Amino acid sequence: MVNIKDYDSDVENKWCPGCGNFGILAAMKDALAAQGIPPEKILIISGIGQAAKTPHYLKCNLFHALHGRALPLATGAKIANHELTILVNSGDGDCYGEGGNHFMHAVRRNIDVTLLVHNNKVYGLTKGQASPTSDEGMITKIQSDGVLSETFNPLSVALALGAGFVARSFSGKTEHLSKIIQEGIKHKGFSLIDILQPCVSFNSVNTFDWYRKRVYDLFEEGYIPDDFNKAMELSRMWGDKIPIGIIYQKEKPSYTDKIKKLIENTLISGKYSQEKVRNAIESL
Amino acid sequence: MSVDISVKIGGEAGQGIQTVGDILARVCLKCGLYLMAINDFESRIRGGHSFFQIRISDKPVNAPNHSINLLLALDKKSFDLHEKELVKGGISLMEEVDAPAKKNIIAIPFFELAKESGGKITSNIVAAGACLALLGAPFGIIREVITEGFASKGEDIVEKNLNAAKAGYESVGKISFKFAFKWKASRPRGILIDGSRAIALGALAADCRFAAFYPMSPATGIMAHLASAANEFPLVVEQAEDEISAVNMIIGASFAGARAMTATSGGGFCLMTEGLGLSGITETPIVIVNAQRPGPATGMATRTAQADLLFAINASQDEFPRFIFAPGSPAEAFETTARAFHLAEKYQVPAIILVDQYLNDSLFIAGKALKVPGKVKKFIVSDTDMKNPSEYKRYALTNSGISPRAIPCNGRAIVMVSGNEHKEDGHSSESAQTRTEMVNKRNAKLSGMLSGMNPPETYFPESKILLAGWGSTKGAIREAVEILRKDGINAGCVNFSDLWPFPAAETKKAFLTCEKFYMVEQNSTAQLGRLIKEQTALSYSGAVLKYDGRPFYPVEIADGIKKYMR
Repeated sequence: MVNIKDYDSDVENKWCPGCGNFGILAAMKDALAAQGIPPEKILIISGIGQAAKTPHYLKCNLFHALHGRALPLATGAKIANHELTILVNSGDGDCYGEGGNHFMHAVRRNIDVTLLVHNNKVYGLTKGQASPTSDEGMITKIQSDGVLSETFNPLSVALALGAGFVARSFSGKTEHLSKIIQEGIKHKGFSLIDILQPCVSFNSVNTFDWYRKRVYDLFEEGYIPDDFNKAMELSRMWGDKIPIGIIYQKEKPSYTDKIKKLIENTLISGKYSQEKVRNAIESL
Repeated sequence: MSVDISVKIGGEAGQGIQTVGDILARVCLKCGLYLMAINDFESRIRGGHSFFQIRISDKPVNAPNHSINLLLALDKKSFDLHEKELVKGGISLMEEVDAPAKKNIIAIPFFELAKESGGKITSNIVAAGACLALLGAPFGIIREVITEGFASKGEDIVEKNLNAAKAGYESVGKISFKFAFKWKASRPRGILIDGSRAIALGALAADCRFAAFYPMSPATGIMAHLASAANEFPLVVEQAEDEISAVNMIIGASFAGARAMTATSGGGFCLMTEGLGLSGITETPIVIVNAQRPGPATGMATRTAQADLLFAINASQDEFPRFIFAPGSPAEAFETTARAFHLAEKYQVPAIILVDQYLNDSLFIAGKALKVPGKVKKFIVSDTDMKNPSEYKRYALTNSGISPRAIPCNGRAIVMVSGNEHKEDGHSSESAQTRTEMVNKRNAKLSGMLSGMNPPETYFPESKILLAGWGSTKGAIREAVEILRKDGINAGCVNFSDLWPFPAAETKKAFLTCEKFYMVEQNSTAQLGRLIKEQTALSYSGAVLKYDGRPFYPVEIADGIKKYMR
């Protein structure tokens, strides 16, 4: 039996009071406890940013890596030992900006990790610059005439790349988020959970209230996430009504499922053979 | 009788130069001859001009020769470009329709003979047969080599190629060639190997489990060899979306407990420097091969250079310990790669192996058997090695700077790793004291690391003047020393393969008795010379530098040194 308290960390939390990240942290602990995964059996990998500090704030194996590079690092770890349960904490700048290329290819590989993107539509740690998911026209100290680029749509992009688990949740609905995280962990293959997360310091538009008025749970509407075209349509829905929940799910072999030698053994439990190396040399 | 002849096979990319070269090399091998061969090609798949130059000798040879005895020109351009390299009495062997009316040309209708024998695509095999016949090689051995070489393609293909080789062999009839010599079947002098394959085999001998890379000449061959061997081993080779991903993937794999490597060239290594720093601060062992080519930026994709030494030593922001190696031959590349994995894991640091296009793509004979260990020593700890696993600290402070390294989700010990400066437990910290302690802890490894470094190798170390170089130029520099000594110059050489941490004491010792030393390097600023000066206060008296993208010929080095003797 795993208790939520087992995940408590004594590291001082450095997020702003009222930060949307607290809801995500609570949901993660709840999901891990509900799935019966003890701290020593979970690996959390993160990039750089406020979101990437998350693994320090709960008890777990962790690798707090480079800005944008959490997914390739998680890919290497998963290939080395595909029995690991891996969560990745990233943000909209970390994952869709600095790590955009890695994001695309992690989706293509269908590597079995659960990616939580704390999407607050702004750069927090560097103090309020626009992020890839900032709304066009958003005014910041740097983008003083407003953001000129189109808003990056992670759900549509993931769907277009063939992602098998595309979901959105809201950090103000911890229970919903916990359930989605659990579904993401259970899903065999790459899982994207884009989490709407208010930034209390730098985003005065997309606040808790703003989201509460707009989000609605697809599951409660009886939505079944198996229709790609419908999912694509939902992924583009933004404004007065914002759908949350699993938008699309389709199981298919994950990356490590497709590597034959990993069916019986993890890579790290393989055995070195002097004879085989000698044979390789002699075959010259 | 002493044999030392060079044959150059030139033509367009796609004409099958490699196949001709391979047949020549294997026939030599089966006749107990020594050889070394260079591959010179352009960054294109078809057309242009490429050549394969093989040096055949009855004594060990470890560098290409500047002049040639036989030019096999598969196109007119090859003849025009290389005729001037022929020694007196040397001849050109070429396609009849291309052949100018000149002396010392043997014109053979390769294409017509191919059509009649093995089919038109076998004209390179016709040429190989003619070339070997001129040199006096027995057809029986050629038959063996072709039969073995084409066996996987089926009997019909073997038959066609044998017919083509025979037609070429007979076409030269009784033409006598000044440099022909007696060949006889004998025991090979070693295995035929290039640097790329040697590195791949070294990785296998070190129990490498994971390799990630992004294709880049001249490093791709290493990964191609690993990928072709991967089915037999607990090894996964992954082509990443870019070099940034490749280096982060291997850090992730190593963190999870798999020995891991990547291979790239300078441009890709630039992209990896961020990851190199992550490996440094997180103390995650990785092996990076940088197969150098001329730069900066794209530079020359298929050419050779040695200009990344100071970059490799200083790559990434801030300071952290790392290993830098530069093997001098494929046999050394094999041994060095295996050692790099061992040392990287022992000290939990990144190890960089600097090779180059010349070493990676040239064929050498490795005389001594490549040593494969019975067991590979690992340095990973688990719960049973700990007093209290739940108190495990990934970055525990120790005198050696090495903290016991556990892997994640392998027991009760929780492993926390951070690229932010961190405390002993792995959590981020901005404390001034912690920062200082952690920098000191990482640097504390340097003295242990230094003790694992091989001193530079010397040849005629008591000489008045010494030539000094690093990496792949070893063979050419040693031969230059022989040339100089024959010409009455009291010269020796010092060849570095272990470059960082820099073996300063051993270096001082090596240069202790010489009057002067001269650098021989494939860069424009004598990078090793500058490093020696920085680390030992010893100054080189001159330098023979070549940075045109082509490998050194021994005579060029000897001539360069002689200029200083006047």
